[in-house]
Amino acid sequence: MRLTADERWNLIEEISNKVLTYGKFKHTLKDALGELTVKPLTGIPIAIVVLYGFWSVFSSFAGTLCTDGFFVKLFDGHFLPWIQSIFPGKGGWIYYIFVGDPVADNCFEAFGVLTSGLFVAIGVVLPAIFIFYLMMALLEDVGYMPRLAVLVDTIFHRIGLHGYAIIPSILALGCNVPAVTATRILETKKQRFIMMTLLAIFIPCGAQLGIMQEVIPESIGIVLLYLIFGYFLFGFILNKIVPGKSPEILIDVPPYQKPLWNNISRKLRMRLGGFLKIAVPFVLFGCAIVNILYLTGTIDWLAKTLAPLLTGWFGVPGETVGPLIAAFLRKDLAVAQLNVIEMSKYQMITSVVLVSIYFPCIATFVMLLKEGWKNLLGSLAVLLTVIFFYGGLINVIWKLLGVQ
Amino acid sequence: MNEKIGRVYFGILGIITLIFGISDLIVTMGGNDFSWSILEISSEMFRGGWGGLIVISAGLFYLSSLKNFLEIHQLSKALMGSILIWILAGTDIFVRITESIPGGEEGPWFNSLEGFLSNYVPPYPSVIFLLPFSLIILFFVSKIKKA
Repeated sequence: MRLTADERWNLIEEISNKVLTYGKFKHTLKDALGELTVKPLTGIPIAIVVLYGFWSVFSSFAGTLCTDGFFVKLFDGHFLPWIQSIFPGKGGWIYYIFVGDPVADNCFEAFGVLTSGLFVAIGVVLPAIFIFYLMMALLEDVGYMPRLAVLVDTIFHRIGLHGYAIIPSILALGCNVPAVTATRILETKKQRFIMMTLLAIFIPCGAQLGIMQEVIPESIGIVLLYLIFGYFLFGFILNKIVPGKSPEILIDVPPYQKPLWNNISRKLRMRLGGFLKIAVPFVLFGCAIVNILYLTGTIDWLAKTLAPLLTGWFGVPGETVGPLIAAFLRKDLAVAQLNVIEMSKYQMITSVVLVSIYFPCIATFVMLLKEGWKNLLGSLAVLLTVIFFYGGLINVIWKLLGVQ
Repeated sequence: MNEKIGRVYFGILGIITLIFGISDLIVTMGGNDFSWSILEISSEMFRGGWGGLIVISAGLFYLSSLKNFLEIHQLSKALMGSILIWILAGTDIFVRITESIPGGEEGPWFNSLEGFLSNYVPPYPSVIFLLPFSLIILFFVSKIKKA
């Protein structure tokens, strides 16, 4: 049946008369609060306080209470001496792989699968991931996340994305694996490619943040500043050179509401389950592989081969090659390894930034591959360029400041 | 009457909040912690710097809500000022709670009662003093809801 334009308008009017009721819209306090959170002048201070609260609760719960308060004592004071005493074959290579350094007095430095591996996975990362996803689920259910998306929409358009890119970006701060999947909420191939590349390179996961909080609490702000700057700088460049479209988007902003605990616990269970199934085995596996590489002398050989690049161009000690290889398996382990290498504060900052922008961890790598091998190759090409130029640039900045 | 009381109250609270926020920033820029009687101001960048900016924002929210105070959009600004203070004070209290539960590096698993309580003695950051005064906004919100 074909309708003329007039008939179509009449039909629209008929339908709308049946389904719409007209009246005067009365703003509620919730509406007014909602408006405040999306206007830049008032929304930015609110975003700052939300992020402040997020980080403060994250670091005091995961760092002060769980890791420092209980897990360090449990692992260093009880578990490590026990496993060192009962594990057979002290001095042998199996002992080295599973228990690590036989004279280590803390799990950070032992570097065995059952010592550092378990400590990092259970004692550091698990509480960090738990509190991160709990707060994330709260913010989603309260209705703040869509408002944050509206607030940051203009900034993200500068790098070829739109406000909803904040969702994978923040998810990646928990774990890059679900974040790569979340890039599907973006419309075009160009947007998904830019988002995946940026989050794989510049966004440290919750595990890494937890370790950074333990290892370099006083410098973590500078590391994050470098990463945020790099995120937008290379996002801007990618937007200019990657072909494709970056369309506008209409965002549905729901009213603020009380969170439902059933919903939150379900989300938390699902995300924690995913982490335990995917990330924990990689932590343990990563520990074993790195130990094998040390035992076979591969890392010493690589350290010697790559020393001119590491010390000359990046300004970090040659020994950092070990953590850089470990970073491919688990970035959190790599940061923990950096802790035992002797270097200055500024070399440490550069090293942590390098570990962050270095290859995505293997779990993320697999997820990127699932999204298409062309995307993966493109991301890797960008990554190599970024690590070479950005890593070198940081060294130049330290030299110009005269602090290296 | 309620409107006049609200304007005067949140006008004064806004100015005090603003002064506290500016003090936070000044102390942070100075680089040394400040302590006076039961008040302490941290010079740490995260708490003093970002926290100071948040307290200043709360003060500005209060002050910008004064004109036509009981109008819903204006009242929401005062409520937002209070929410900012609640979040900041809440995280300060949460930090104390997380520090007070474990027994310390060499001690037992859990803190003694004495050690636990000692974490809650003064001095306190300025936002803790603002917390009870910021709760008055709930009275005005309930009035609006009833109306």
